[in-house]
Amino acid sequence: MRAKLISAAPEQTLDRVLDALAEVLIDASDEEIIAAAQELGMNPMMKGSAAFIGLRMPAMAELADFFATHQGSEAVLELQSTPKLRRWKRTEIGERKH
Amino acid sequence: MAQLPQLADQRILRPAETALALNLISRMDFLRLKAIARLHARGLPADVTWDDLLQEAFTRVIGGSRRKPAGVNMVAFLAGVMRSLRHEHWRRAQGGPAAPETLRIDHERDLSRRSELRDRGADLEHSLLAQEQLEAIDRLFADDRIVRGILAGLGEGHSPRRIRATLKISKTDYDSARKRLRRTLLKEGLTCAQN
Repeated sequence: MRAKLISAAPEQTLDRVLDALAEVLIDASDEEIIAAAQELGMNPMMKGSAAFIGLRMPAMAELADFFATHQGSEAVLELQSTPKLRRWKRTEIGERKH
Repeated sequence: MAQLPQLADQRILRPAETALALNLISRMDFLRLKAIARLHARGLPADVTWDDLLQEAFTRVIGGSRRKPAGVNMVAFLAGVMRSLRHEHWRRAQGGPAAPETLRIDHERDLSRRSELRDRGADLEHSLLAQEQLEAIDRLFADDRIVRGILAGLGEGHSPRRIRATLKISKTDYDSARKRLRRTLLKEGLTCAQN
């Protein structure tokens, strides 16, 4: 077996190598992918992660994207003006309540 | 009457994104497939990018021209589609017969003259690109003798058992080397470089 990837028929050698390496990647676990991404300074669990550059992810559609009518606009405004849900609050002694 | 906004120019979903929206694939699977696409794009001319391969593979699956057999993992299936797309590219470039999915408009092609029509320039380009990529892959593991030995064995079509015997390494060492191989390929595949 040659020590290096030098070949008289490089096309066939490359095909074999790429096929074998693709099998290696198919077996990659989520943890391995996350670890590799983190070594590159990426966090693939984060929305808009650089790991997905080149793969455009669908943006979340908003109501206003579909309805430019007066009624639609009002619905958007009503949604936007809805008070946020009350957050968890800590009391002085650290007890959580609604 | 108010008109609906024009969405076509703003929200065109490409096949990969459609596959995600249809839950054919997970986000992690996307990243696996990105790394695999970048691998299969090695040795192809610069005008065929990894993104082209990936999107075309999704198009074939979503469009129905490639049907995933039951029990086959979707990532493995798409990897296989990309592999055959790579071969299809070179077959076309070398003047070979069109891929089955391609609509043939020339039904009177004389296949007996196929060898005379073969593009020798494409053959040479293919060889040069392939050799270039083999050297590039070898350089990725310049400091890892065992991985380079495994790659050489894979290039010759040897089984893992034969590779281990030739390199005189245990299964544990082989599996460890495979993990190092995978980590490097993942990092190569997830970078932001275009190709």
